[in-house]
Amino acid sequence: MYKSTNLDLFPYPFHNIKEGSNYRYSNDLRKLEKDQTSCIHITPEYEKQIKRKRELLNEQPEVRFQSYPHTMEMQWEVAEMLINMAVESYPEHFQVEKNGNHWTFHNLTLNETESFIFGDTSSIEFEPLDLIGRHFTTDFVLMVHRDDNLYLEVAQESYAALFSPHWNKGMSFDEIHAPVPFVSRTDVPLAERVRNFLLSNVLPGEPWTRINWNLMANRWDVNYETFDTWGPTRFLVTPENAGKLVRLRVEEQFFYRMPRSNAILFVLNTQFLPMEDLELRPVWLEQTYSILSGIPKPMADYKGFTPFIEPTVEYLKNLVEKVKLQTN
Amino acid sequence: MVYNSPVLFDKSETIVEKFTVRRDRRKLMIISAEPKEADIIEQFINHINGLKEYELIEMKDELQLKNISEVLDRQKMGTQLYISAKWDDAVTIFMAAIEAGFSEDEIQTLISGEKRRYVYCIKCYHLQEVEAEETDTICYHCQISLEIGPFFSRERKGYIGYPYNPAFVTST
Repeated sequence: MYKSTNLDLFPYPFHNIKEGSNYRYSNDLRKLEKDQTSCIHITPEYEKQIKRKRELLNEQPEVRFQSYPHTMEMQWEVAEMLINMAVESYPEHFQVEKNGNHWTFHNLTLNETESFIFGDTSSIEFEPLDLIGRHFTTDFVLMVHRDDNLYLEVAQESYAALFSPHWNKGMSFDEIHAPVPFVSRTDVPLAERVRNFLLSNVLPGEPWTRINWNLMANRWDVNYETFDTWGPTRFLVTPENAGKLVRLRVEEQFFYRMPRSNAILFVLNTQFLPMEDLELRPVWLEQTYSILSGIPKPMADYKGFTPFIEPTVEYLKNLVEKVKLQTN
Repeated sequence: MVYNSPVLFDKSETIVEKFTVRRDRRKLMIISAEPKEADIIEQFINHINGLKEYELIEMKDELQLKNISEVLDRQKMGTQLYISAKWDDAVTIFMAAIEAGFSEDEIQTLISGEKRRYVYCIKCYHLQEVEAEETDTICYHCQISLEIGPFFSRERKGYIGYPYNPAFVTST
């Protein structure tokens, strides 16, 4: 397991929750500022994450990467965007040489070079998004706009939370979010509302973002394929061990409309913070304790942390008291 | 056919308990592949007689079933299709209709006898048939216990089968 060590880079999910109020599901999408549209982020855990991501992709290719054969052109379009973003955001880590269609991409951190003919899939070992995605810590899901809906046609993931590229392949946005039980104030299913929002507002050159969060009991990911393994571990959490075992799992989501294919690329940046590390930011600690104390059961059930929410809240309560004693 | 084309499963929108006349269609076409349901077809035809143009095709043998695509391909826009068949034959006719360009809204399917239901083991990716009311099963391929979920995948042609450990019993 890894955790976020630079808390300034950790996408803490409750910044926008007013003091004293509770967290509830909402459409909290926000347009990215013009000068902050890149989804490429290098954290101190970059190498550790890339190593694990590649292990998972190599060990379980059918679980971790899925696509349709007709998606190659779309995948090249995404690869081009990611390479350009990486080079622009982190020239000290990434470089690219383009001689016509002959491209060479350098990952200086890993001391790796990818040479290929852009647009020619026979010139690379993996599919375009699978290849370039292995240089970035995020997960990627490419959804195609068709019949007023979005359909999953390509996905590379290594941090699944009740998601599986293999299972969700070909599904519409609504089918993927069918387990979401919530409705808006106007009784519209939340997933439908978010889908309509994405379709109308995510335009070329105007990416959006939102933050999703969950709690995880000592797991890198909780995908459907391994439910028999991680399901029972959720019951091992106690107020004594919750500090180490339970992590705040934050998924920073970015949405890009691809100008040529009109597909929407979902980029998912997943970061973990163990409960015990909340002590480093007492304001976060108090707020997280307050929010988790008031989580309604249907939301805990949907997010899958009902089995360990009580000991986690108990742990946080004790930690809040300990920190108060230290500061008084 | 594309990956998000409709497929026939036990909860498909196309499956009906009783045929209804679609007055907004130009023509009604009935494919009857199950002789046992002849009475129902006759009643339906009596009901539509005079209201709409209709065509009845009675499938007598497998050869006719194999050639159903030719009949369906010839149909023009505005045709409403009615399928009366046992499950396996209904699948063949339904898929041929989708291939011919019918939407699910343009097809009503009356199943004679049992519907088939499949579960997809998300542990080993094996698809197998299960009974209509089963909530749990064992994967024939990897032997893991599966809880049959409510979500269906057109791509995988079955309901999700969540793997679980039956030895682990929780108190909640």
